Amino acid sequence: MRTFEEIGLLFGRYARQVLRNPIWLFASLITPILYLALFTPLLRHLGGQTLSAGAALDLFLPGILALVAFGSGVGPGFSLIFDVKAGVVERLRVTPANRFAILIGPILVTMVMMMIFDGILLVVGALFGFHIHPAGLGLLGVLLALLEVTTAAFFSATSLRAKGDINGFAAIANGLNLPVLLLGGVLLPLSLGPVWLQDLGHADPLYYVASAARVLASGNLSSNLVWQAFLVLVPLCAVVLVWATRVLWQIIM
Amino acid sequence: MAGAIMSNLETGQENHGQGVRTAAIVTRDLAKTFQARRGAVEAVRSISLDVERGSIVGLLGPNGAGKTTTLRMLTTLLPIGRGSAQVAGFDVGREPHQVRTHIGYVSQLGGSDEVLTARENLHLQARLYGIAPMQAASRAQSLINQLELSTYADRAVKTYSGGQRRRLDIALGIIHQPEVLFLDEPSTGLDPQSRANLWEHIRSLGAGGMTIVVTTHYLDEADALCDDVYIIDQGKIVAHGAPAVLKQQIGGTAIVLEWDTPPQASQACELLRSAPFVREAVLNETLLRLYVDNGSEALSALLHRLEQAALAAHSLRLSQPSLDDVFLRTTGRSLREETVEVH
Ligand SMILES: Nc1ncnc2c1ncn2[C@@H]1O[C@H](COP(=O)(O)OP(=O)(O)OP(=O)(O)O)[C@@H](O)[C@H]1O
Ligand SMILES: [Mg+2]
Repeated sequence: MRTFEEIGLLFGRYARQVLRNPIWLFASLITPILYLALFTPLLRHLGGQTLSAGAALDLFLPGILALVAFGSGVGPGFSLIFDVKAGVVERLRVTPANRFAILIGPILVTMVMMMIFDGILLVVGALFGFHIHPAGLGLLGVLLALLEVTTAAFFSATSLRAKGDINGFAAIANGLNLPVLLLGGVLLPLSLGPVWLQDLGHADPLYYVASAARVLASGNLSSNLVWQAFLVLVPLCAVVLVWATRVLWQIIM
Repeated sequence: MAGAIMSNLETGQENHGQGVRTAAIVTRDLAKTFQARRGAVEAVRSISLDVERGSIVGLLGPNGAGKTTTLRMLTTLLPIGRGSAQVAGFDVGREPHQVRTHIGYVSQLGGSDEVLTARENLHLQARLYGIAPMQAASRAQSLINQLELSTYADRAVKTYSGGQRRRLDIALGIIHQPEVLFLDEPSTGLDPQSRANLWEHIRSLGAGGMTIVVTTHYLDEADALCDDVYIIDQGKIVAHGAPAVLKQQIGGTAIVLEWDTPPQASQACELLRSAPFVREAVLNETLLRLYVDNGSEALSALLHRLEQAALAAHSLRLSQPSLDDVFLRTTGRSLREETVEVH
């Protein structure tokens, strides 16, 4: 009970921080919208054939939803860098508050933000012809939440281990971003690439999410890709959460 | 000014089934070694503290002495390296959760949320200690009054001055009425007026029965604020006692002489060290400090000898022994000069 209360308190703390810096909210929403606006026209003329705007969006938008989930996970990591420097993390760690609550509070805020962003993207996409399949999108929401929590916990722990060094953290975050997104087939399906690239993609959790996202968004709930994605994400999320909580417990700064 | 904050504190009467606890903090040979890239750093070598309940205790030492590291071990932030520590009657290593509920910690960095207001910070902090919403709000309000924060209590903390921010940091550390409060360099960076004001607040907390541990590298702070001072250098305690007692041990008067070059000073040191009126001589580069029983008598004898040896000093002053002299006698270095070097 107490832990839930603490999670609520720390959720409120981070939510206020985010809402008082709306420029960040705007910046994180503008990137996926730009991707959609600039990338979809390219896709329409892929491989010699011409797709309708709706068909191109059906192919492209699910990947963008996964991109938003992954990208928003970096947020709590960045804010922890500043919190470590300002002594906020130490102040919270001296209180008897549950360590898991300290970790998960901000992560849940970004999860809610991610859901809202993805909702906006779906609405915008639908206006331009994207086909909405509610059941598939519902299950996709669960999968994306898992992905978001996993990435946010991973970047939170990475940030704590960087001990307030923003350059160290930014190097890791940026260094991981491109290969993970590329190998995940988020922007372009890996099936367009050579076999070795597809094989490499199997080492990337995002690959499973992006693949499942495409079939789920098309309304297909029974594809093997769906349970495979959950089979990868559920244990991964659990392991990363346990690890990140341990880091918060015993970090030496 | 601030009244006796938290006068309803129940320290001293509480009993957690561990027998009557007399000391607020007991440590034995506390030590911590960091494994850094360039080899091991022995930040704390051996710290044994006995802090009485309700006392204000100072850890005085130069930069890098291990003050913060000691506090971070005592507040459960850092695993204890070697040795043992009990805080508020609980073993720091085995009962960290219990320790956390009984202590407050104000770090060197502060730790308030910049985008939130003082009131929001205080409210959240109280709630994290399990205080119910209504009571959290009233405690926040009373601390805002007591620490004179009311004018800006509903403004974002990032707009505060150093002194205002420091008072908020302290309010955050005491909102749950801890038995033991740790303050890491509470007055660093404040002007003399704000420092005096902050000391007043800290004293009134002590008067309310709270046990307070203050780290500082300011001699006057330790002198003015603390019932008991541990002087720390390179991770070890080099002297311990009430400020007045420590100074008394030095005794008499200090004569400080300065020459242009170190050889002159060391020659003079050789000359005067064995003189009957000199209790102790400490040489530091061009500075020579002589501790004597009777200042004026010693002075004429001393000037006479220097003149004969053609070693007249270019400056000379008399001073009553300070905690700096205590530090100097045990380490051969001056706290004051070291602080100056760093800034
Ligand atoms: N995490 C760490 N890793 C490696 N070395 C450390 C670490 N923390 C502290 N040290 C080293 O331990 C020593 C003691 O540091 P500490 O911060 O305890 O000193 P301090 O007495 O608080 O100094 P100051 O007055 O400057 O705050 C220093 O030499 C410092 O460089
Ligand atoms: Mg320090």
